[in-house]
Amino acid sequence: MILSIQNLSKKYRKEKFGLKDYSITIENGILGLLGPNGAGKSTLMKIIATISQPTEGTLTLDGHNIVKEPDYIRKILGYLPQDFGVYANLNAYEFLAYMAAMKGVGGSGLRKRIDMLLEGVNLVEAARLPIGTYSGGMKQRIGIAQALLNDPKVLIFDEPTVGLDPEERVRFRNLISGMADDCIIILSSHIVSDIETIADEVAIMKHGTLITKGTQAEVIKAVDGKVFEIVLDSTQSDAFKTNYQAINSIRQKDKIKLRYISDKPAGESSPCTASLEDAYLFLTKQPLI
Amino acid sequence: MKYVGSIIKADYLQRTRSYAFLITLAISLYIAYTFVPAPGAAYTTVRVGNFIGVYNSAWIGYVTAIMTSVFLSLIGFYLVNNSIKKDIGTGVGMIIAATSIRNFKYLLSKALSNFLVLLSITAIVFIMSIMLFFIRGNRYSFEVTQFILPYTIVVLPALFFISSLAVVAEVFLGRRPVIQYLLFFALFNFISANVMMTKGSTMIMMLDPFGVKAVTMGMEDFVQTHFNKQLHVVSMGFNFSDKQDVKTFVFEGIQWQSAFIISRFMWIGFSLLLIFISSKFFHRFDVKERINTKKKKSLTPNISSGLITGDINLSALPVITPAYGILPFIKTELLMLFRKGSKWFWLVNIGGMIALIFAPLSIAHQIILPALWFLQVSRWSDIATKEKINRIHYFTYASYQPIKRLLVSQMIAGIILAVALALPLIIRYLINGDFIPILNIVAGAVFIVALAVCFGILSGGNKLFEILFFLLTYCAINKIPFTDYFGGLHNDLNYSGFMLAMIVLLITISFALRKYEIRHL
Repeated sequence: MILSIQNLSKKYRKEKFGLKDYSITIENGILGLLGPNGAGKSTLMKIIATISQPTEGTLTLDGHNIVKEPDYIRKILGYLPQDFGVYANLNAYEFLAYMAAMKGVGGSGLRKRIDMLLEGVNLVEAARLPIGTYSGGMKQRIGIAQALLNDPKVLIFDEPTVGLDPEERVRFRNLISGMADDCIIILSSHIVSDIETIADEVAIMKHGTLITKGTQAEVIKAVDGKVFEIVLDSTQSDAFKTNYQAINSIRQKDKIKLRYISDKPAGESSPCTASLEDAYLFLTKQPLI
Repeated sequence: MKYVGSIIKADYLQRTRSYAFLITLAISLYIAYTFVPAPGAAYTTVRVGNFIGVYNSAWIGYVTAIMTSVFLSLIGFYLVNNSIKKDIGTGVGMIIAATSIRNFKYLLSKALSNFLVLLSITAIVFIMSIMLFFIRGNRYSFEVTQFILPYTIVVLPALFFISSLAVVAEVFLGRRPVIQYLLFFALFNFISANVMMTKGSTMIMMLDPFGVKAVTMGMEDFVQTHFNKQLHVVSMGFNFSDKQDVKTFVFEGIQWQSAFIISRFMWIGFSLLLIFISSKFFHRFDVKERINTKKKKSLTPNISSGLITGDINLSALPVITPAYGILPFIKTELLMLFRKGSKWFWLVNIGGMIALIFAPLSIAHQIILPALWFLQVSRWSDIATKEKINRIHYFTYASYQPIKRLLVSQMIAGIILAVALALPLIIRYLINGDFIPILNIVAGAVFIVALAVCFGILSGGNKLFEILFFLLTYCAINKIPFTDYFGGLHNDLNYSGFMLAMIVLLITISFALRKYEIRHL
């Protein structure tokens, strides 16, 4: 499948853009979307999920214009929004059956499919209880289960690991890794490590525009050989930060270990292997051209 | 008090910056316009025996003031009785609970914010009343005090009382909105009966929170003095009875008795006392979830952290087939309608249905049916807005054909509920071979659900429909012809045709709005 986005813009009001002249082509595999708050990640995902319309540009899935034919993608879409809710009075089984009806799927296998999905997200024991009694993590898991109900070919996960504990996050990453071969999976997260471990490609966004897109290795190239670490007295660190782009600091009893990006190392710095997080922080702090 | 001021301001702005409030203002303007009927109109509002005042400043000022006091007290309660609920829903309440603000100050700020909301509506009505003077009564001199005095003395304390009462109701019955509605309705009717039906006395006048009795007594005295006739204010509201014998008189306002003025302050003091008492019982947002918490307690230890097992193999999942029917939707929507609210409330519904079987046919149709339907107000009011309220709309709007399938199913489920409740009455008409009332009842069921859907989508919330439905029910039970949406007063096919046109209009608007909404999140 090929999802092609060409010159897409979403204008909210005069000169206020959610997306601006955004172009990207997405094929089967996992695309990790990274960007600070307000970068336009959720706007992009909403447009792909057909619940928001672009002001300009085209969006096609295998040649079908999904702005004009939203039902084409809706049949094969699995969408987990960032801030979704549930009907508190329904139990997990009833809720998933309702979601299946929404997606236009049924048949004799539906019940078994729901059972297996509930088993997969470990909600079997709670399946007959009202969802209103669930914890945040359990609700997130029911959200993941609904996204997989209709054998989706396009999966959109907007901040899917919010509310999941560290172990659940690992399991979730394993789960979607196994699905990437015959699906387009678009995954946004603030947690770079979530993207780092599973994304085939990474797209970094800022102020509604695409800064870069490529494999992780391609994206990391932007900071290759530019990442260093230095240990400073705590009194020196503020002055250092004004001259260098600090990425991370670790307090170590009267000392501070600073990780920074620079073309040339300062003082007694030691070089570090660049990571996706380094590249992300470096690229999103550069002024837009 | 600085913090209280900030809470009032924030609360007031949050509530008034909405389409629902704008629509409420528009409806209020229209209602205010009807307070002073045009000379050729088929109804009167305030009448002393067969006398009505000429349209001078005093008559228009006093009549619009007492009508505002009564109507805004009635509607106002329903309009503002969700201020604490909003803080619970948004989570702001948890933050407030962790601050140093005292319960009394918090509740007082909510009451004052309620008061400001009602005051804004009053301001619009006040301006409309002056405009009405120039439209209807420009032969007479304009005296602004004849407007200011009744509005200040009669309306403002009444609105403060209602604003406080709404807060008190939320403190004690926050989770039971329908019981709040019913109790307030009973209280309102009790006070109204006390004011309208009893002979005037200083005590009755002082015990009237709406401040209406003082004015009607003043009007009666005026007629007695000038025409030597002991007449009572026979109507206050919309009276469609014969207007032919109506005579006019020049009303010049009333002498405000000091006892009455003192009583107005007493009502303000009583309102503050009510807030103070309720502050001792205020939960301070330490509220349990509405869902059965006993089950949650047993659930949590069993599924402590909960893990995604990671062994979902999509290709191994059973095959599903396309199924675009709407029956699963209708089933779930009915399930949600049925489960909403306390299950004990169904006993009241069953009681209403039994009453539909045994009550005289006209009472069953004209009073019990609209009352029984109104009891479902909270089930219908969010029929098309619950997706947004529960943040499910991301799923529903991205679903396959969300209007043709989901919205239609929601409406069908709502109509099934309405028709099911009316079934005993329908069967009675069926046995009598009387089919037009059946048609009108079904049309009424479709109309009320379409109204809920339309106003829900239009305003983005429940409140507007709830108020309108209440007003419709109140007026319909009082036999105001144009509010007879269920055909209690009309037994003809022309009326069915009119209802059909209204339904088509509402559904068309709803579909158009939802069509826009689903693509513009």
